[in-house]
Amino acid sequence: MIIEPRLVITMAVICLVGIGIYGLLITRNLIKVIVALQILVKGAILALVLAAELQGQIQLGQSMALTLIVADTIVAVVGLALGLQVRRRVGSLDLRDLSKLKG
Amino acid sequence: MPALLTLCTILVPWLGAVAIWMLGDKRQKTVGPVAVTFSVLAALAALCLYPFATAGVVVSIPMGDAFGSLSFRPDGLAALLTVIATVIGSLAVIFSLDYMKGEHQLPRYYSFILLFIGAMAGLVLSSSLLYLFFFWEITALSSYALISFNNDDPKAVRGGIKALIMTQVGGAGLLAGALALFSATGSFEIDQVLANPVAIPAGLLAFAAFGFLVAAAAKSAQFPFQTWLPDAMEAPTPISALIHAATMVNAGVYLLARFYPAFAEVPGWKTAVIAVGVITAFSAALMAIVAGDIKRVLAYSTVSQLGYMVYAIGLGAVEAAQFHLLSHAIFKALLFLSAGAVIHSVGTRDIFRMGGLGKRMPFTRLAFVIGSLALAGIPVLNGFWSKELILEAGMETGPAWGYILMLAGAGLTALYTLRVTWLVFYGKPREDLHVHPAGKAMKTALLPLVIGSIFSWLLVAFVTRVSANTMPYHHMEAMDITTLVQEVIMNPGTLIALAVILAGAGTWLVSQRVRFFEKSLGWAVHSIQASFGMESINDAITRLAGFAGEKLRITQTGLISWNLLYVVIALILACIYLAVGA
Amino acid sequence: MPLKHFSTLLILPLAFSPVIYLFGRVAGSLEKKNTGPNISRWLLMGVISGGLYALVRLYPVSMAGEKVRATWGTVSFQFDGISLVLIGSTLILGLLSTLYSGRYLAGETGEEKYYALFSILIGSIICLVSAADLFTLWLCFEIMAVSTYTLVAFHRQNAAALEAGVKYLVQSALGSVLVILGIALVFGERGSLALDTLKASGAQTSGLLAAGGLILIGFGIKAAIVPLHTWLPDAHSQAPSGMSAMLSGVVIAAGLTAMLRALSALGVPASVWGCAFLTLGAINMLVGNLLALRQVEVKRMLAYSSISHIGYLLTGLGFALYLGVINGAEGAFFHLMTHAIMKGLAFLAAGAFLFVLLPHDGSHGPLKIKDLQGAAGKYPLAALTFSIALLALGGLPPLAGFMSKWVIFTAGFIAKDGWMTAAAIFMALNSVLSLAYYAPVINRLYQRESSDLVKAGSKIPASLNIPLVILAISTLLIGLYPAILQPIYQLAGKNLLALFF
Repeated sequence: MIIEPRLVITMAVICLVGIGIYGLLITRNLIKVIVALQILVKGAILALVLAAELQGQIQLGQSMALTLIVADTIVAVVGLALGLQVRRRVGSLDLRDLSKLKG
Repeated sequence: MPALLTLCTILVPWLGAVAIWMLGDKRQKTVGPVAVTFSVLAALAALCLYPFATAGVVVSIPMGDAFGSLSFRPDGLAALLTVIATVIGSLAVIFSLDYMKGEHQLPRYYSFILLFIGAMAGLVLSSSLLYLFFFWEITALSSYALISFNNDDPKAVRGGIKALIMTQVGGAGLLAGALALFSATGSFEIDQVLANPVAIPAGLLAFAAFGFLVAAAAKSAQFPFQTWLPDAMEAPTPISALIHAATMVNAGVYLLARFYPAFAEVPGWKTAVIAVGVITAFSAALMAIVAGDIKRVLAYSTVSQLGYMVYAIGLGAVEAAQFHLLSHAIFKALLFLSAGAVIHSVGTRDIFRMGGLGKRMPFTRLAFVIGSLALAGIPVLNGFWSKELILEAGMETGPAWGYILMLAGAGLTALYTLRVTWLVFYGKPREDLHVHPAGKAMKTALLPLVIGSIFSWLLVAFVTRVSANTMPYHHMEAMDITTLVQEVIMNPGTLIALAVILAGAGTWLVSQRVRFFEKSLGWAVHSIQASFGMESINDAITRLAGFAGEKLRITQTGLISWNLLYVVIALILACIYLAVGA
Repeated sequence: MPLKHFSTLLILPLAFSPVIYLFGRVAGSLEKKNTGPNISRWLLMGVISGGLYALVRLYPVSMAGEKVRATWGTVSFQFDGISLVLIGSTLILGLLSTLYSGRYLAGETGEEKYYALFSILIGSIICLVSAADLFTLWLCFEIMAVSTYTLVAFHRQNAAALEAGVKYLVQSALGSVLVILGIALVFGERGSLALDTLKASGAQTSGLLAAGGLILIGFGIKAAIVPLHTWLPDAHSQAPSGMSAMLSGVVIAAGLTAMLRALSALGVPASVWGCAFLTLGAINMLVGNLLALRQVEVKRMLAYSSISHIGYLLTGLGFALYLGVINGAEGAFFHLMTHAIMKGLAFLAAGAFLFVLLPHDGSHGPLKIKDLQGAAGKYPLAALTFSIALLALGGLPPLAGFMSKWVIFTAGFIAKDGWMTAAAIFMALNSVLSLAYYAPVINRLYQRESSDLVKAGSKIPASLNIPLVILAISTLLIGLYPAILQPIYQLAGKNLLALFF
């Protein structure tokens, strides 16, 4: 039985996005948050490529995907830099120690 | 000429406000005289404006599409109120020279008084609904700033904020009504509404009518908004005299009077107005009888007398309301300023700690007594004539329950007036009080008011003629002195009223023991002192808002997982909404 | 000719930012310690002034109704009234904020980076509000977001600032991802991402509806719509004050604009969005005001107040989209501009107090309202301008906030629709409620008894006072004569309705 590539990609998108959101919600470690975010973004990029392919404009889709990869790498870098500073000042990467600002 | 004078009555005080703020704290000594100069100039401009009163719009500056024009129309009612605002304003400023001597941050005080005077003039002279609201809000701002002038006293700050919030809530009524009228007529001009009220759809007109009633009730401290005025007595007394007796609280009455021709036919409106007036007048009179703070007595008295004016408008007797407005402004300012002289001299506002002050403050006693006689409605002072006109209108055209309660109110007025005068100025003087007579500036301010209280009713012919000529939509009739005298003296209602008044005064003399009422009426007194439960409603609303805010803070957990969860939930809700709604 | 100016506007700030950084860094390592940041600052102000010049040259063109388009390959930009409003606000507030930040940030590490990132921020906002296709829109949005992440966490010795930055980053990144998913859905349905093409494509499908939901929430995080607002109180209160002014004044408005541009292309009937905006606006106003009532820190209170002002904007936009009442859109853009001025002034004034009353080493707690007690005696100018800002935010005349809220109110009544009228009255009551937390601050400022911090405070430098004066005078002028800004917001309103109807 031939499995449609598009179906596979769609399932992949749903899995990645789902894992990403689930990870974001339940994790307690800042690095894991950033990882979950990255998974989420990869799922989104895949979705965009899939959409481009469906419309027959794979070139545009690929260039957008590359741009997105760059953009979200920058976000990851900034996030990790902040994480580094947090580790230095607060001493831990646990999200519960990062909840002084409330109310 | 009228255009220039109109603009002067607003811009001269405002220029003064800016100038005084610029002078700042470095030259505090000059601030008072500068303020006096500007306010007197404004008063002169208003007095010169009055003979030039006209029904037409004299200034009209287009301000943009959504804003209409900045337009002014100095007709009889507007010009009269401008004169009251500026003249009593300058008297209050002159009084402040003595009263506020040695206080801190005086530039702020005088600046805001002048801002207020200009704004009050602008409010009544305005012929555009937007700019009426604009100046209305500025008077609210000045009132707040002046009530809480002494920022270090938490009671004053609370009183100021309470006044601000309550009058602003009423302001929302004015906003809603004004915009409803705008949506119907397409213009902000008041004359558009007055000229042809039947062209406005009935629903919108009723909405505007009741919205304006809410705004007027809040501004004039009528039921159910009367609780802010007694707390506003934390303001320096000249402010109480100017803003909370003679001018700003009249803005509500002015609003009702101005729009009467448009709203008179709205079903239920006139009855509602009469009801508000009667309930306020009667309940406030009861509260004045049991109050122990001299300014509170006068505050409740103001609320009560405003109730009379509102009642008169509900009856359709706009001339009587206007006349009583003039009389009340004069004698109430007189009473407040005299009370101010007493408070400044003795250092307390508690009437049970005063007594026998008349011997050492004869001029003040004279002023206060004249004011009291006018308030009680004793002939031949100005209060007598105007109150009688109102009562007669009530007897002739109003509902019977209204007339009886207002008549009883007149008696109660005499009662509390005599009570407070007696307790403060007569009886045995106390040795522990340090009393000094009123200063020169204070006397200078009080004298014109005394003369006014005795003689202002003689102007009835002039005032009503100007009004009749310049207010085409109100269908007012000029009345001259002989008519006035005849109407009042000959009317049997007058005799009934006088009888009730004397009965009221007599009640006090008979039960002269101090604190008679407080002791015998017990629970009733407590309920009255708490404004019949209105204070607790206010309290409940404030605490509800604070409570809601405090509970909402729990949602701001500080934990990012919760924040992200909110996002996911919002996403789900958005998708549901879009699936269902589109 | 207009194309030249438009291109300058788009490219200048972004291109110059590395220049700003490098000049500042090199000068800093070669010369005295202070010169580096100063050079960066002057360069940045030069860049912003250049942008203002280009904007002024573009102004008559856009007033005449001409649309200016700039295209490079697949990336295209279009200048219309909405862009004018946002770019004008950004540049003016940016200029004043930069001038202000000179003394405010003096001596902090990495100051040149601040100015460089600021330049990127301004450049990305300019590109964002002029974007003519969805992907460029997203990209500029992302650049703007990334530049703000580090700007918020600028005081990195302060654990609270780091915390605020982290939370902001995570939430904002989630928002960006949701938008990408939305864009993917749109692309999959329609095959093009150019806004004009999309608009002409025809009616909605369920895919586009889902995209709409994703875009609403994704951009809504940045636009501080409740319940997506939770990052805002932390971020706006912990950022350096010049940055708080920009964030509250312009960045959240830019997020809202991005949302509007994206939603207009989906083919969903405008009344759906209008209804959503009215509901969300009402919730924003109430939640923002209630939460602000209980705040004891000055900047946090101002941050919650920003949430309620977004509510006013949403209400105005809702009026416009629900029944096509142009006053709503005009009022919303007018309020956007006046809010930028008033909230900017409030944050800058609060920052001035923070600067003189609290130590600069990052060890201080936040500035509390009770610390401001009696400040007017020692700092009359700052206290006056702060009071003007607060009164204006509360909607009292003769200040700007009254006039902008008035235009939104007229929209609610013009259509004579019951729900819209109720929404307008709700907005008026919320405006009154907001006075309950603005007024006590003013009372505290003017007390005679000063707090200990005020007694020990130093003098406020002139470069902090000048922006305060300029913004305060603008507030007063606009309040007295609102027609100054009328052509601008009327054009923007017209453009918005053209986008949706």
